[in-house]
Amino acid sequence: MKLMQKLTILFLLISLLAGIYPGVITAADITGREIMEKVYNRTEGDSRQSRLKMVLINKFGDERIREIEQYEKSFGQIEKKIMFFISPQDVRGTSFMNWSYVDKRSDDQWIYLPALRKVKRISAENRSDNFMGSDFTYDDLGDRNLNEDKHQLLREEELKGEECYVIKSVPVEEDYIYSRTVTWVIKDKWIGLKKEFYDREGKLLKVLENKEYKEVDGILTIFNSEMHNVQSDHRTRIQLSNVSYNIDVTEDMFTERMMKRGL
Amino acid sequence: MVQRITEFVLKKPLLVMMILLLITGFFTYFIVEKARIETNLDKYMPEDHPAFKKSNYYEDVFNIDDAIIVAVSNKEGIYNQHTLQKINDITEEIQKLKGINPADVRSITTADNITGSDFGLEVEPFMKGIPETENEIKNLRKKVDDNEMIRGRFISTDNQSALIMAELKDDSIDRMALYNRVKEVLKGKEGPEEIYVAGQPVVEGTLASLMPRDMKKMVPIVILVIVIVLMLTFGNLKSTLLTLGVVLFSTIWAFGLMSFLGIPVYSVSTMIPVMLIALGVADGIHLLSHLQQRIRNEPELGQKEAIKDMVDQLWKPVVMTSVTTAVGFISLLTSEVFPIKYFGLFTAFGVMAAMVFSLFFIPAGLQILNLPANRKRKASKQGNFFYNLADLVTGHKRVIFVISVIIVILSLVGLQRVGIDSSLLSKFARDEEIIQANNFINEHFAGTTNLNVIIEADQDNELKNPEYLETVQKLQDELKVMPGVGDTFAVTDFLRRINKVMNENDEQYNRIPGSRELVAQYLLLYSMSGDPEELNRVIDYNYRRLNLRVNLKSDNARLIRKTIEKIDEFAAASNIADFKIDYAGSAYTNMVFTDLILIGQVKSLVISLIGVVILLGLLFRSTVAGILGSLPIAITAVINFGVMGILNISLNTTTALISSIVVGMGIDYSIHLLSKYRRYGQLGLDKMETARKTMNQSGRAIAFNALVVISGFLVLLFSSFPPNRELGWLVSLSMFNSFLLTLTLVVALIDKYQPDFIFGKRGKLNN
Repeated sequence: MKLMQKLTILFLLISLLAGIYPGVITAADITGREIMEKVYNRTEGDSRQSRLKMVLINKFGDERIREIEQYEKSFGQIEKKIMFFISPQDVRGTSFMNWSYVDKRSDDQWIYLPALRKVKRISAENRSDNFMGSDFTYDDLGDRNLNEDKHQLLREEELKGEECYVIKSVPVEEDYIYSRTVTWVIKDKWIGLKKEFYDREGKLLKVLENKEYKEVDGILTIFNSEMHNVQSDHRTRIQLSNVSYNIDVTEDMFTERMMKRGL
Repeated sequence: MVQRITEFVLKKPLLVMMILLLITGFFTYFIVEKARIETNLDKYMPEDHPAFKKSNYYEDVFNIDDAIIVAVSNKEGIYNQHTLQKINDITEEIQKLKGINPADVRSITTADNITGSDFGLEVEPFMKGIPETENEIKNLRKKVDDNEMIRGRFISTDNQSALIMAELKDDSIDRMALYNRVKEVLKGKEGPEEIYVAGQPVVEGTLASLMPRDMKKMVPIVILVIVIVLMLTFGNLKSTLLTLGVVLFSTIWAFGLMSFLGIPVYSVSTMIPVMLIALGVADGIHLLSHLQQRIRNEPELGQKEAIKDMVDQLWKPVVMTSVTTAVGFISLLTSEVFPIKYFGLFTAFGVMAAMVFSLFFIPAGLQILNLPANRKRKASKQGNFFYNLADLVTGHKRVIFVISVIIVILSLVGLQRVGIDSSLLSKFARDEEIIQANNFINEHFAGTTNLNVIIEADQDNELKNPEYLETVQKLQDELKVMPGVGDTFAVTDFLRRINKVMNENDEQYNRIPGSRELVAQYLLLYSMSGDPEELNRVIDYNYRRLNLRVNLKSDNARLIRKTIEKIDEFAAASNIADFKIDYAGSAYTNMVFTDLILIGQVKSLVISLIGVVILLGLLFRSTVAGILGSLPIAITAVINFGVMGILNISLNTTTALISSIVVGMGIDYSIHLLSKYRRYGQLGLDKMETARKTMNQSGRAIAFNALVVISGFLVLLFSSFPPNRELGWLVSLSMFNSFLLTLTLVVALIDKYQPDFIFGKRGKLNN
């Protein structure tokens, strides 16, 4: 009887510890933060060109399809990106440029409307705004700084045949649009396979799935992903093609002049 | 069979009483435990009706949700720190309420301003925090004045009031609970600002909560009045209490069954108690007055014998009148609207329950309590009155016919003028809080009633075409000058605004962009810089359908219909003639809904009239009897609608109930009169004596019954809902007409034509 009690207490203690320090039991050698750091620092090349197909699907199954040719390049403290709309036909030639800064400064954005023949700046006040009516916020698309969340390794498990770490990230900021996110990171590849976003009230809001990834020029690249807002049943599919890294572009590519000139 | 049952009832009266009370207790339990009041009007509508299906679909596509509207008003103007702070507080607190999506609460403190500058296009909140300095406040005011998407919509043009609109998360929200939560938020926030709350959910919530409260006030008064009338009729407490027990228990049964079956109490169901109390006493009066007369005539009769005789003699007419009254209400099952169906069903059930109580509860009660004291009565004056009435009627047949025809013609003229009203707001008295709030908001803002116009092109992407958008803009311009229309809102408003700010705020660009590409690019631009959800409210994914919102100052069906006519007319003569135009939103569905109810009522009136003809025809084995008996009912109905037309009383969901009451009660009078007439006719009396005896017997019974029903329904005059008051006196008038017509017109016709079913079998005595 005494032995049983002791065992029970021991068991309870272990469970308690496991609850507080899940890392202790599952994988003592790596923490949630370290995993996310590896994901954050995974090499992505300093420049990239790709064809982006963005499909917005509402709950009725109606689709809005946009095809975009995009160039991205990192210039030290500034990440620059320029996008040219290929289709639909009536927005062809519209271009969009985004400069994001490593420091806290908010992004600069420009848009060129060929029908107006003018380049206009647009305000990008809020990183929680959705990008082009998609289910991705600017934050979801970009790399959220590691220090903005507290990361915790929940467990390790297999998902779609891949060994994954499951990491819970809770934003430091109190009133952020998500109360937490849960990410499945593929072991040794340091790429996300799935991510769940929970709203302020703690209810599941969105699920991001990495549906296809492969190596291009030695860099793991997600080719096909889908964000599903489970509350509004709206989906955004992002498909990449013709991806090439370390392309030969200069700062001249990321100018208003290029926006007007188009491809 | 009936004799054996009565025998049993009299042998074990306590057992019978216990069983009845047990069932009543069982039903009471269900009422207490499970009764639920339905406050969401959408639940009243038949979901599979094409108009509602379509509207629901569009509400889904464009996120059209009913909104609670709060107006904050300050005579000194809203542009001061205190008032702005208050608007901000209310907005934030409402955002936190259950049933509200924070993103769907709009006010000046959350609204985005689309502006252009040298910098480019900006979509930014009007306010970031409460402006403090004079300069900041001035700045805000300028921003509002410059943006016609906000001015007049969220800030009144006189700068004295601001609106906060909170859309409901989904349809299933309990309106009343939410309204109470909003009131909780607003508590203590008044002064110096005045605060008003309106909007469809508030109207529905208030209606759903006031109706039962009104009935709670009404029922005791009805009971009191009925008790007084019964006391005057019977002259003793026992009979009064027994009859009262019948109606109260049958009401409990009706609501108990409703709760047991999990059917919520709809606002129209709150009329059931008054109906059952007024209608259910008929059987009791019938039985007990017979009994009292009998023991007066034969005081030596034993208690059991007297009771047995009462049931023996009267079970047939009691069953018959109950069944026919129930059938009148059952005819409401033809309605497509569930609350009306249920109203008909449960009132019918209540009437049948009253019949069961009358046949079991009254005898058992009498057996337990013993017979009422034999009250000596002086030679009744009424007897003389009805005797004389017979002479009067038969002596002035021509006058009666002529007057009847004149009244019918006048009524038919008035009947043409009867208007239909679906307005929920018109159901409230003018001094009701909701009406005051509604009037205030309609006076200072665009209008609390929204009509959503869905314009669908013949193929995708067509609505990016400026030619069509121009047409929509023109339609908006024409609608805006229509009386009763406050404002309109569509994708065109976004496009004009963006076009203007992208062209250096030049007012001449405040128009639809000139090319399809520019439209597409502006929409893309807005979706990149603003809130794309806003666009989803006005245009669909395939740019094939747009949602044009029209703000109306009243939810009156006539205005809605006129607006729809105007739109259809305009569209037919324009380049969007081939496009499909549909309507959605609660103002529209309420209108369709009311139409459905009224069509249902008319249908059930016609069906039940035909039913009455057939029923009476079968009962008396004579077509003439069928026609004669239903004539007073038909004329009563015609007069009722004629009076409504002449006095400009609209046909609405409440007043439309009159027809079923008229039929249900009227048929009892006919059965009464015709069966007595036939009885005396077959006795071989001469025609004058037959008329006199009939009049004396059934005339008095009908008069009593009419008196009771009229006094019951007149109590509705104390209701706080104008339509209930109208129902009260209209039913009373109809019952009076029904009574009068039965005793004059029908008697005169019988006297003139001496139909076979009364006088034909002369000499062959039966019974």
